[in-house]
Amino acid sequence: MMNMIRQIFPYLHPLMTKPMIHLCQKDLPVGILAFVCGCMIASHVAMSPAFADPANAKSRSAESSNETDATLQPLSKRFANKDTAEVPDFQKHVIPLLGRLGCNGRACHGSFQGRGGFQLSLFGYDFKADHDALLDAASGRVDVDDVAESLILSKPSDADLHEGGKRFDKGTWQHHVLQQWIKAGATHDANTIHELNRVDISPAEILFSDKGETVKLTAIAHWKDGSSEDVTELCRFSSNNDAIAEIDNTGRIQSGGRGDTHVVVYYDKAVIPVPVIRPVGASIQSIASQPKHSIDRLVKQKLDKLGIVPSGLCTDSEFIRRASLDITGILPEAEVVRQFLADDSVNKREELIDGLLASPGYAAWWATRFSDWTGNSDEQLTNVLPIRNAATRLWYEWLRARLQKNVPYDEIIEGIVTAENRQPNEDYVSYCETMTQACKPGNEKLFAERDGLPIFWGRRNFIKPEERAIGFAYTFLGVRIECAQCHKHPFDKWSKNDFESFSKLFTPIRYNANLVNKESKQERQELLDAITNGEKLRGGDLRRAVQKSAQQGKTVPFGELIFDDSNIKRLRKTQAQAQRKRGKPRAIKIPTGKILGVEELVPLDVDPRDALMAWLRSADNPYFAKAIVNRVWSNYFGDGIVSPTDDMNLANPPVNQPLMDHLADEFIRHDFDLKWLHHKIVTSETYQRSSETNTTNLMDRTNFSHHVPRRLPAEVVYDAVILATGSDQHAEKIRTDLNQMAIAEGKPKRRNQQDFALEVFGQSIRESNCDCDRSDAPSLLQSIYLRNDADMHKRLSDKNGWVAQACSELGVAGPENSPEPRKAASRKRAESYRKQFLLRVAQYQKLSVEKQSGAKPQLQRDYNRMNAKLKSMKLDVPKLSKLLKDRNAWPELNAPNSIKAPVKTIRELIEEAYLRTLSRYPEPEETEISVSFIEESKTPADGMQSLLWALVNTKEFILSH
Amino acid sequence: MKLHRTCDGMQRRDMLKAGVLSLGGLTLGNYMQMAHAGQVQPGRADRAIFIELPGGPSHLDTFDMKPDAASEYRGSFNPIPTNVPGIQISEHLPKLATVADKFAILRGVSHTLAAHRLGREYVNTGSKPIPALEYPGYGSVLSKEQPSETEIPSLVAVPKAGQGAGFLGIRFAALETNASPNYGEPFSVRGISLSGGIGIDEVQRRQNLLKKLDRRFAKLEKNDQLLEGLDKFGDQAYSMITSARAREAFDISREPESFSRQFGEESFGQSCMLALRLVESGVRLVSVQLGGWDTHTDNFSRLKDNNLPKLDAGLSGLLKGLEQRGLLETTAVFVTGEFGRTPKINSRSAEGGRDHYPRCMFMLMAGGAVNGGQVIGESDDNASGPRHEGISPDDVAASFYHNLGIDPTMEYDTNTGRPITLVRDGRIIDELFS
Repeated sequence: MMNMIRQIFPYLHPLMTKPMIHLCQKDLPVGILAFVCGCMIASHVAMSPAFADPANAKSRSAESSNETDATLQPLSKRFANKDTAEVPDFQKHVIPLLGRLGCNGRACHGSFQGRGGFQLSLFGYDFKADHDALLDAASGRVDVDDVAESLILSKPSDADLHEGGKRFDKGTWQHHVLQQWIKAGATHDANTIHELNRVDISPAEILFSDKGETVKLTAIAHWKDGSSEDVTELCRFSSNNDAIAEIDNTGRIQSGGRGDTHVVVYYDKAVIPVPVIRPVGASIQSIASQPKHSIDRLVKQKLDKLGIVPSGLCTDSEFIRRASLDITGILPEAEVVRQFLADDSVNKREELIDGLLASPGYAAWWATRFSDWTGNSDEQLTNVLPIRNAATRLWYEWLRARLQKNVPYDEIIEGIVTAENRQPNEDYVSYCETMTQACKPGNEKLFAERDGLPIFWGRRNFIKPEERAIGFAYTFLGVRIECAQCHKHPFDKWSKNDFESFSKLFTPIRYNANLVNKESKQERQELLDAITNGEKLRGGDLRRAVQKSAQQGKTVPFGELIFDDSNIKRLRKTQAQAQRKRGKPRAIKIPTGKILGVEELVPLDVDPRDALMAWLRSADNPYFAKAIVNRVWSNYFGDGIVSPTDDMNLANPPVNQPLMDHLADEFIRHDFDLKWLHHKIVTSETYQRSSETNTTNLMDRTNFSHHVPRRLPAEVVYDAVILATGSDQHAEKIRTDLNQMAIAEGKPKRRNQQDFALEVFGQSIRESNCDCDRSDAPSLLQSIYLRNDADMHKRLSDKNGWVAQACSELGVAGPENSPEPRKAASRKRAESYRKQFLLRVAQYQKLSVEKQSGAKPQLQRDYNRMNAKLKSMKLDVPKLSKLLKDRNAWPELNAPNSIKAPVKTIRELIEEAYLRTLSRYPEPEETEISVSFIEESKTPADGMQSLLWALVNTKEFILSH
Repeated sequence: MKLHRTCDGMQRRDMLKAGVLSLGGLTLGNYMQMAHAGQVQPGRADRAIFIELPGGPSHLDTFDMKPDAASEYRGSFNPIPTNVPGIQISEHLPKLATVADKFAILRGVSHTLAAHRLGREYVNTGSKPIPALEYPGYGSVLSKEQPSETEIPSLVAVPKAGQGAGFLGIRFAALETNASPNYGEPFSVRGISLSGGIGIDEVQRRQNLLKKLDRRFAKLEKNDQLLEGLDKFGDQAYSMITSARAREAFDISREPESFSRQFGEESFGQSCMLALRLVESGVRLVSVQLGGWDTHTDNFSRLKDNNLPKLDAGLSGLLKGLEQRGLLETTAVFVTGEFGRTPKINSRSAEGGRDHYPRCMFMLMAGGAVNGGQVIGESDDNASGPRHEGISPDDVAASFYHNLGIDPTMEYDTNTGRPITLVRDGRIIDELFS
């Protein structure tokens, strides 16, 4: 189908090899046109007032622009004639023009080594550097004395001279603009950067009804000084999905396939996304039934625009499985599923949600997710604490305890951002005592009770100010600012300056294992001396000695987080001295930094972290609440309202802005109550949609119109396999003591020492400031693991496994008792050794007491020999003394475990198997298939094992659906 | 489709421009015409080994030496002659110097992406990365076009894949071994051998049962990459588990010592030997990685003591081994980093280092229809750019595909129905095959 349509409508596509042949519809044979109309073109869409009709876009924008009189005309009009007296502005005109012409692109002069001896800042906005580069006599780009000789005039207008080809013709407005600027002295005042208030784009939103329609955008810049100007010709343009909307470099948009996306306009600092929609079906205008739940209402508003009908609600068994896995990361128990399905109360879904949010699994699983975002990586925490392998456990427990108590999100983050290593009024030695205690496995609670998480600041990849700027923005803002480290951020307003000023905030914060407050240096040395007995130890030797002392219960010294203002103090001291000498105060320069997007300078003579925190939690912070709302949302939907979840930028707007704003505002209004947020999302119908699609939402993967199946996260899969295959008793133990579960960080995570399965299923490495450190993509190795890994075989045949339990309930031999032939033979041999030796013991016991003492050494030797043989078969033998007391203390080796009377039927067990894996009852057909499979198997145990194997290997098991 | 943004701000428009500037790309039409006229020699290789050197190896200190350049460019290494008169390479590649007749050196390869990830995506696909979609790696294309028999994976990555399957979809992704073989130790990919007392018959019975029970998503499967991928991986896992051939292919301990010794004792060399065994048993493409080339500091000691000896032993062993087994004729070998390194030595560390430099780099090609023992392309006096028209990664990719009998101008449709040319801007480098 797609091919056929493309043959009929080959549209301009940069990736297409074929030359573009633009067929108008009227060129088509009538029959084909009718066919195309039937399948491709939805019925005419009524315009909602918010949207511009492409056909009328021009007239509308002219009418609505009241500022026309004041607005300067475009440069192409003002500079059409070379005799104009106007002098273009370097920031407003020259740099954007160079950008538009492509000069400062990565492939050209924006390259880090420049091109042809001339370098511009990538994407502009480093005005001083660009001005210097242009006026550098050696580059010859601008020659004020001989204007025509300026290379920025001659090169781009002559294809032969210029490796980058011809960019404009002589005599064009572009030529005039550059020429006029040079003529007037090629000036730029580095001290006055013009402040751009906003850029108005019209139309502000675009609704297409058909393929191949076009709209041209207009951009009016409004400056702080009140002036405004048509800058359309100076903007760059891009499309976020050119299969839906293509945009050329003049701002002309052409519609493509159905769906919605944004085109993006760039000018000066501004990055403006413009929504473009081409509805999938007829737009829906049902005022009658507005959903009660605000999420549903806002999602529906968007779907209505798109003409998408959402799927219906999922079934109860889908719901309990989905909600349990998403909220707690734990597969629901068979019995709980059974009760939930039988429950006929109206509120049962909400009750289930409340129960799950109150359960320990919630805190355990979400502390793992928070650990991802905050970067709790063993690898990066090496040597942050003097005691090994403790930091990640402490970090995790600190988060878990807070989530369990539902501490407001901003308060949790405050404990990280403004963390101090000591409690109020705590002395250094007491701090070290508590920390030494807390590092012992099982004592993590001692650390969780403390106010702060200072080790966040000690990670190896979070030391340099620029690393902290990047990591801070990633964790708390969901923003990737690293691009601005080297050049103007291509998708946001951040300039290199913004990045640098932001980084500076982090310079005075220091933390490592060897650092302590000045006043405590002596105490630290005393603690060390007690460990080393005065010996001079260094590096690894010292670390080992400290480690050993801690194990012996001695208090060891810990590092401290320090606000380092020694430089400023030194300056003040010199100032005071100078003042005493000359009697004249001399101003000293206090270093400053800037919070992202905030004008005010933050002086660094006080710890800037309080200011940072105040900014984070202020109601008008544009990122803080949205970042967490978006991450929580993506846990429930597989994708964020902004996607990727850690890449909020101007060019990447939310798929549903009102929804994002609403949730973030309400979250703040509810005092950053995380459970409120979870509850809000999970109680919506939007969350509870079925994965079955209809014709309108089949292709939708971004607007939350149906449940999109996704692979369960690594830890959840890992635990689910263990719970599904373990006996009721074993599974119950794991569920009660969450500590062994992967979702509760129960498994090691060091690089190259990760649990194999967790690695294969894409557990987060928490190292690169990216939510993509976690992967939910399937792979061949995952399939191989679930089908054939030794782990899996062991779990299915384990004596603590569910198959063993089921066999016992069925009154048949379990998998342990039907071992493979070689194993069976060795058991047989072992059993004969046992019998022989017990006979030997019996003979010995018949001897008189005197004779026994003579025969004892021989008996002991016989015992040792026999014991060695059985040990090689991995079998344990009771002690000889025990056997002498009671020969029955050693039961028969190949005896089947006492087979009990059957208490369940095969059908009941099949039902149980379905409930404990897929959280639903089997269909009658599935039961029949399973029954006959088990009956045809060699033994019932074999059959049950294979059935459980198959259920764990279904897509239904591995997916959230 | 997730939109990937990079600091380079790669935009579709850049592609347009590239398209306008380079008119060398063949269209399908003229490829066919030329093929009919006998101007395009069909490739002889039907399998491939792709060796990636992530980090970006210095071209000046390896295969594109400039002994006459000023000292701030030249560096401390000297060139040595090879077994091909007139061709010189670094003194720290003595073994490769004895097999220079088996590979072709491409010099003055040039592009513009100086970031690791983008550069790797470029040289791993032959297409300049764009935000709207991800191109597939060579192996994924080969898996789709010429899949191996199901019991043998089409694409194996030792230990990890440098590039995913992109828009072709996850089912054409690599089997990653996740570990590298060590000299003298048996190597098996976990889960491929049968264990737990389960026989082939039982595996088959289980598979049949699974097929009958795994029906819930039958309706959605066509439209969902994830579901389709899970099915495909499941089927393939089953074939591999039941096949002795697959297991044995991974077991390098089956090679006699006389053979394995020539690959050296480093893990990279043993990975090359594993690659050889795998292509021998029918894997279409094996990718092997040797990292550590990002020598911003201590460029010379790191190359001399670590990277070059490893590359020298492993790659020379591979080329000799392929020839000994009669596989060189049918195995296309492609060696590349993501970029070269700055000709001018920086002063970040005492002995100096070199930074990212895409404008000038080297690549190596061997096997199949490639004529070894030649240098194609040339860089300028300081190896700071191609002397004449440069070779693009697209050209090399087109040639690699051509060597494998895959038409580089073939078109794919993405799942949104968008037509994509496999290597849009690549020109087959005729000299490689003449």
